[in-house]
Amino acid sequence: MRRIFAYTISLLLFLSGAGLYAQDTVFFPLKIRAGFDLIGPVVYIYNKDNLNLEGYLSLDRNEKMSYVIEGGYLKYKYSQYNYDYISTGVFTRIGVDFNLLKPEISLGKYWAGVGLRYGLSFYSSETPSFSHDNYWGTATSSIPQIKSTGHFFELTPGFKTELLRNFTVGWTIRLKLLISGGGTRDIKPIYIPGYGNGGKTVTLGVNYYISWNIPFKTRMVITKPVVPEEPEENEEEGLNQQTTDVRQ
Amino acid sequence: MKKTVPFIGILLIVCLVGILVRCTPGACLEETNSFLEASFYSNTTKEILVPDSLTISGSGQSDTLYNKAEGVKVASLPLNATTGKCTFVIRINGTDDTLQLIYSSYPHLISKECGYTFYHTLDTFFYSRNTIDYVYRTSNNITTLNEENIRIYY
Repeated sequence: MRRIFAYTISLLLFLSGAGLYAQDTVFFPLKIRAGFDLIGPVVYIYNKDNLNLEGYLSLDRNEKMSYVIEGGYLKYKYSQYNYDYISTGVFTRIGVDFNLLKPEISLGKYWAGVGLRYGLSFYSSETPSFSHDNYWGTATSSIPQIKSTGHFFELTPGFKTELLRNFTVGWTIRLKLLISGGGTRDIKPIYIPGYGNGGKTVTLGVNYYISWNIPFKTRMVITKPVVPEEPEENEEEGLNQQTTDVRQ
Repeated sequence: MKKTVPFIGILLIVCLVGILVRCTPGACLEETNSFLEASFYSNTTKEILVPDSLTISGSGQSDTLYNKAEGVKVASLPLNATTGKCTFVIRINGTDDTLQLIYSSYPHLISKECGYTFYHTLDTFFYSRNTIDYVYRTSNNITTLNEENIRIYY
């Protein structure tokens, strides 16, 4: 009885499959990724005044799009002949990444695309001393610590590739647009964590990420759906029929 | 794939240009001094009247700002940010007058490259009336923007 049932099911599946057409598919692994930036620590080795640590988490929605959240910490010191400046704070960015590679090329291992981010920075800045020279001599002063919040958008083109199983490296360029940097009309922030030079409306940044990937789901992606061509006679009949339908 | 390759090429070019721009060092190209801008008017015609000879120096200072200068339509006077007041000796066509300015000063960031300067808010002023008939205030804000602050009628 069980065999008959199994044969029946198989036959039904076979018959129902007669209506399908050949198509190419790719099994695409959707992943959770966690990564950290290498450029910040490398820069710190050469410049102890500038420490930038940041990392990210991302979750694939499908083979084209991922949700991303990034976070980081910055400690920035700057000195020149007429002032000293310190900025310390944390930042976060949320957004999406779009993979522009086709699934059959990407295969969950390669990424070339662009991301969009909204960034939020919570920081404090201080000018321990500054001086200004004019006709009357040198005037010196300082600006005490001010806590501020900055908002910005980012466009992030970049590349990533899987070097080892579930380990990815890649770099991202960040084109940043400042919405609001905080501060006052006269005391603008010189450096905003996560954004950069607070005196500029548009800035650039670079990250080089090492990431660990955890596949959580495999998605079957149809890469070449085959659409059967209708015979010409049928098409003409169909058109005539359509025309007739309209006249009625 | 044919469509992807040119796009990746464009991305690479954008990235390289971005890196080059980022690595270009900045220079201070902006005005870093704020001045009180004083223009000269005829008390008779109420029109701009350029002094034939103008000498201005800060009280107690050995250097002059203008020394028998001709054709000065607007005199730019730097203020002392540490004292909150300063006095200028203004010699118009050979006759001395004094102009004392009282103001408050506050720091202003020009840019990362230039650093900070001081802006001022003009509170009040006093002047002698040898050649000067009167002084009219047009703006209290003394900044780097070269905005007219007072008119000296003589």
